[in-house]
Amino acid sequence: MSGIPYTPEQALISMALAGILIIIAIALMRMKRLDMEKEYIYALIKGGSQIFIFAVILTYVFSSPFWYVFVWFLLIAMVLIAGRTSAKRASDMPDAGKITTPAILVGSTAVISVLAVSGAMPMAPQFVIPLSGMVFGNSMRICSLTAERFLREVRLGKDRIETALALGMPSEVAMEEFGRQAVKASLVPTIDSLKTLGIIFIPGAMTGLIMAGTDPIVAAEYQMIIYFMITGGGMITAVATIYLMRKRIFTDAEQLQEWV
Amino acid sequence: MPKYIVICLCCPSRSKLRGILIKSTLLRCINRLIEVDSGEIWVDDISIKDYEPIELRKKVVLMPQNSVMFPGTVLKNVLFPLKVHGLDEKRARKALKDAGVPEELFERDAEKLSGGEKKRVALARAIALRPGALLLDEPTAGVDPGKVEQIEGAILKMVSKRNLTVIWVTHDTQQALRVGERIASMKDGKVMKVGKRDDFAWEGVY
Repeated sequence: MSGIPYTPEQALISMALAGILIIIAIALMRMKRLDMEKEYIYALIKGGSQIFIFAVILTYVFSSPFWYVFVWFLLIAMVLIAGRTSAKRASDMPDAGKITTPAILVGSTAVISVLAVSGAMPMAPQFVIPLSGMVFGNSMRICSLTAERFLREVRLGKDRIETALALGMPSEVAMEEFGRQAVKASLVPTIDSLKTLGIIFIPGAMTGLIMAGTDPIVAAEYQMIIYFMITGGGMITAVATIYLMRKRIFTDAEQLQEWV
Repeated sequence: MPKYIVICLCCPSRSKLRGILIKSTLLRCINRLIEVDSGEIWVDDISIKDYEPIELRKKVVLMPQNSVMFPGTVLKNVLFPLKVHGLDEKRARKALKDAGVPEELFERDAEKLSGGEKKRVALARAIALRPGALLLDEPTAGVDPGKVEQIEGAILKMVSKRNLTVIWVTHDTQQALRVGERIASMKDGKVMKVGKRDDFAWEGVY
């Protein structure tokens, strides 16, 4: 067996039949008066159209000899969108995008470079596009979690930070503990999911590879590469986020900014 | 700044909240935790803006009103800033003893201490850096009323031994008269009168 044994037409019929789950979900929403049916339908239509448009584009890109031009555009767009999305999480920090975008860029570039050099990511659009998406998506998530947590910790610990500054400690030392907590908190979900791998859930990439007919051992090996990528890239992004945020939160005279 | 002098900044209790905020702001400006909007502050004939902020804060240490403890033991609390400046444990132990912290408390969790004990640890933490001047923001606030004079005594003993200049912010006029060699009374953010303790003892601080 190789891949899902459907033609696109058969898959469409299966999708329509599986659509019964949408009706069940909407019925439950009405019954429980959640008042989110419209949002749910809007999200389904929006998300569905986006992935179909993306699928059509991918079909052309995969067969084009100039696929790398598209990939470059895509990577730039991914960084900018990820940076903007993440910045919304720390919206009360002025110019948050100038922190989130470079932090995501640093973490993702490091991972993509290692994947490319090690050969874990063959230089073909089928690999580069989905893996880059995963890398940027993960860096964005980690960046949002780190930025949000760090800002909250700093605000809660403002008195402790100022006590340390008043004793002549550099800002780097005064906020060290808060940075450490934010990095840890952002990585805990990933590390927890790593611990339960194969017991509670089979992760997306491995599921996809197995469904596409890959040997489960190879699928497991590839899944581990993805986890190396997620944890390594996540760590770099989190550290870069804290480093850049410190520069923003403190003035050159080692004072907390007024907006904090 | 003259050596070994306790200058008290004091404000009337009816404008207590506002007064405390203004005086605390003044101390934070001297320590350069915030910048002044106008005017200039000089320490030892040098504008504070010409100091490296860290050097200035080592020279003029601020002890904030709420004695926030760092996580860990009492000893670690005093050691933490010392280690950053490359200084050793001996100094921390000596400062704690001078501040009247009993040795059996050294390994105790600092966050679990009483208000008065925390004040003493905060004082030891500031003194251990051997600053030239000390900025005290309501150093007896939150202390059991029966122990206020003990803390005042401990502070005065330490500063006279070390020949320090102290700017002591208080809202308590009686405390100002007890500890201040020179007193400045403030009202609505303005200094109303500056003088020696005796000048105030006659007519009261306000």
